Amino acid sequence: MSTAIAPPECPAAQADAPPREPHSRRALFRMAAAAAAVAGIIPGRARAQGIRKPPATKPVHGYPVLPNETPVAPVEWATDTSRLLRRITYGITDADVAAARKYGFRGFMERQLDHTHIDDSAVDAFVAAKYPLLSQTTTDLFSATESTVTAQLQQATLYRAAFSNRQLYERMVEFWSDHFNISISKVSYLKIVDDRDVIRRNALTTFRQLLYASAKSGAMMAYLDQNQSRSGAPNQNYAREIMELHTLGVDGGYTQADVAELSRVFTGWTIAGRGDFSFNPAIHDWGAKTVLGVRIPAGSVSLGAAGLKEGELMLDTLLAHPSTASFISTKMLRWFLTYDPTPQQVSAVAAIYTSTGGNIKSMIRAVLDSAWLVSAPMKLKRPFHLVASSMRTTTPTLTNVTALNNQLFTTGQSLFVWDTPDGYPDKVEYWAGNILPRWNFGAFYAALAAGETIVDVAPFMVGNTADLTVSVIDKRLFGGEIAPALRTSLAAYLKAGTYNAARVRETLALAIGSNSFQWY
Amino acid sequence: MTTDLHDGNSGCAEYNELSRRQFIGRAAGGSMAAAAAAAAYYPAWLPRIMLAETHASARDVILSVFMRGGADGLSLCVPFGDPAYYTARSTIAIPRPDAAAGTAAKGIALDNFFAFPQAMAGLVPAFAAKDLLVVHATGQFNNSRSHFDAQRYMEVGKPNDVSLVTGWLGRHLASMPPVRSNAPLRALGIASGLQKTLVGAPRTLPIANPATFALTGTASTSAARLAFLQADYGTATEPIHAAAIDAASTVTLLQSVGISTYKPSNGAVYPTSSFGTALKSVAALIKADIGIEAAQVDIGGWDTHSAQDPLAGSMYKTMQDFSNSLAAFYLDVIALAPTTGVTAVAVSEFGRNARENGSNGTDHGRGTVMFAMGKNIAGGRVMVNNWPGLATANLESGQDLKVTIDYRDILAEIVQQRMGNPALDVVFPGWAYTARGATR
Repeated sequence: MSTAIAPPECPAAQADAPPREPHSRRALFRMAAAAAAVAGIIPGRARAQGIRKPPATKPVHGYPVLPNETPVAPVEWATDTSRLLRRITYGITDADVAAARKYGFRGFMERQLDHTHIDDSAVDAFVAAKYPLLSQTTTDLFSATESTVTAQLQQATLYRAAFSNRQLYERMVEFWSDHFNISISKVSYLKIVDDRDVIRRNALTTFRQLLYASAKSGAMMAYLDQNQSRSGAPNQNYAREIMELHTLGVDGGYTQADVAELSRVFTGWTIAGRGDFSFNPAIHDWGAKTVLGVRIPAGSVSLGAAGLKEGELMLDTLLAHPSTASFISTKMLRWFLTYDPTPQQVSAVAAIYTSTGGNIKSMIRAVLDSAWLVSAPMKLKRPFHLVASSMRTTTPTLTNVTALNNQLFTTGQSLFVWDTPDGYPDKVEYWAGNILPRWNFGAFYAALAAGETIVDVAPFMVGNTADLTVSVIDKRLFGGEIAPALRTSLAAYLKAGTYNAARVRETLALAIGSNSFQWY
Repeated sequence: MTTDLHDGNSGCAEYNELSRRQFIGRAAGGSMAAAAAAAAYYPAWLPRIMLAETHASARDVILSVFMRGGADGLSLCVPFGDPAYYTARSTIAIPRPDAAAGTAAKGIALDNFFAFPQAMAGLVPAFAAKDLLVVHATGQFNNSRSHFDAQRYMEVGKPNDVSLVTGWLGRHLASMPPVRSNAPLRALGIASGLQKTLVGAPRTLPIANPATFALTGTASTSAARLAFLQADYGTATEPIHAAAIDAASTVTLLQSVGISTYKPSNGAVYPTSSFGTALKSVAALIKADIGIEAAQVDIGGWDTHSAQDPLAGSMYKTMQDFSNSLAAFYLDVIALAPTTGVTAVAVSEFGRNARENGSNGTDHGRGTVMFAMGKNIAGGRVMVNNWPGLATANLESGQDLKVTIDYRDILAEIVQQRMGNPALDVVFPGWAYTARGATR
């Protein structure tokens, strides 16, 4: 038996210390965006009229990039009310159309904004019965497995999006879930608490209430490593993201020194017990700090819980900052109106933010301006929106949404597992790669004839003719505003085979997979 | 065309050039039969302009493997020459290659310090042919022990930057012109959702199983339904229009490749595991010469907190699947050609504690191994940057093999030398890499 042999050395390099990474985060962010924008683009020909082409994007290392084309809404989407219905619901139903006719543009919007007065007891009862974890405290949730936590929250969210009468509210829940993104993969059951007590409780209140709730969320503390930050060893993750992603925006006028100083302010903001927020004076940095020009004098640990006030002062500073008004307004305009809002639109909504103290309902009223809606281009449904739309417009009989939730994985948007704090992208180019799964989702969904979810084909076969079937598809999936070309092609597909339930289901699948149904 | 499709030489520069010239010849002046064969080779929808194109054929195709879960480098490549290894691993150590005759599961010496376990025997021929490089005590200098963070940062190629959302391989592809400009599919991830490594790549799709990438539903109507959707998306705006056409084209393309009937060459036998099946599909796609530049494949099962047993149990099976699958890929795609146009790499987010835990397993650690394989890889050796040692005093935080080579040093060299991309600032932003001599 030989003894240990002298370890070999790398012939090409000497031992060296790990080099440091230079910090140029913003430049990288822009670079990443440019790289993402390259995805999947080949030269197209001039097609539908009315497509505006923005100037060509600069090539990345010689590879030419074609711009996104502006998807102009079809002429069939004739009225402001029709546009409004598309933007504030997960899919127009007969009932929505009837209600909008009855109450008008403003009346329908106001009823949706007044969400607590909309009866949603059936949906609440279903969620309470099927997903009991959603009402539990951290103490109860502690023993739940991550897979159960994930399944219940994902399924409940899909069910509510599809069937809740509070559609605008659900759309805002999705918006804030992205804005204050937290991945369940990192925080497990704490996500349930954040979803309930931060996002859902405050989705239509004020941005101030939301930001305060989020900043005192155990899940957010864990997700952005704030619970690992302490005096002398501050972790900058949360301090950076609250400015970059939650309030000011990346170009909102803060510096790396502000990040470092703010991270000192937030030392002591942490979690205790089973993941509840707590402030720990013993690990708070009591030295003097200056953030965004605001000076915080030195204190001492004897001040105890008063140290929390330092962080709250900074929350107020961020809330009052004009960059926050613009940033939140821009994101809300992108969500409801257009990917590319004008500076005039942003300042109009930002003015409402400032004058109302960040009242979310007031901002929504400003964003959903009738004239703006009528001239806005279409937006692409993300996979979650597509699946919810299909469910909402076809009213399936179901006992659970397990299989439908699994379709979100297949189509690329399993909920609450986006790992970076920026939330699921709301950009066409990000989602463009997964078209076949959308088509196959249509095929999967329309074929559901037994089991936990049943799509009843009978309503689509009233009259037993191809033309009448397509009329029902028009009425139910397209709000009665189907494009003539799609009406013709769907009818042609139906007529090319024997008229029966299987062929009708295939036609429904093609309608769900069609280009028109991907937009709202 | 069957012969061409299954030719073991495919992938190499000469082969690509040859097949292109052959095809041009057929298309320009060939017989009807040749034209029909060509049509099977290149789907009809491909614009004919591509035939006049010059391929950048010097660029390697890359197979990128992620060993998810934190693979124990001390079992994958055993430092039998370090006595502290045997102190730390009282129940799960691989016996020395020179252990007494009759000892079960002895290591297979790679040099006078390192050995493969028996489970890795499949890769010994590639190592002996100097086509397989093992890099040890490697990983990330970022010291996260969270799978979540460590995988993310390894895949994006920059530690501790939560704002970078594209992957290193995605940025490589985005910053290079396609090898074949009209290829509908430049890269694929064998997955239901695109792996972060590839995010940002143009004309790249997640394809869970290339053999079944098709419109689901009744088979007899699938052609009519696909035709309906292609026509319907003809009026879509960019980039949806292009993506839809790419998807439909890829369905047609993959059907024409015939992955399910693919016959590996050179006696290669792929395991029937999901990893083996994935590599077989990738081999079929590479050899079909359709412009695939990169494939990302994952293999799990490395999170060995308990009952690790690399001699005959759980980790033995995982390592055997890993090595036999890659060995088949080596035989099928790499081994025969004098210089092949294919390079494979395999990484894991971190290694495991030097000392085994109370459950005969190992917990999350730091340094581990990575692999690079190809005719242009300077293989046949275990590369280290001064073995840091497993004695407690030499361990990071008193428990882990130190990281002495950043994994990006190896990848960056391959990206630059074998994938022809000078833009390392794009692929690995902020990283000034040290050339380690991983390539020939």
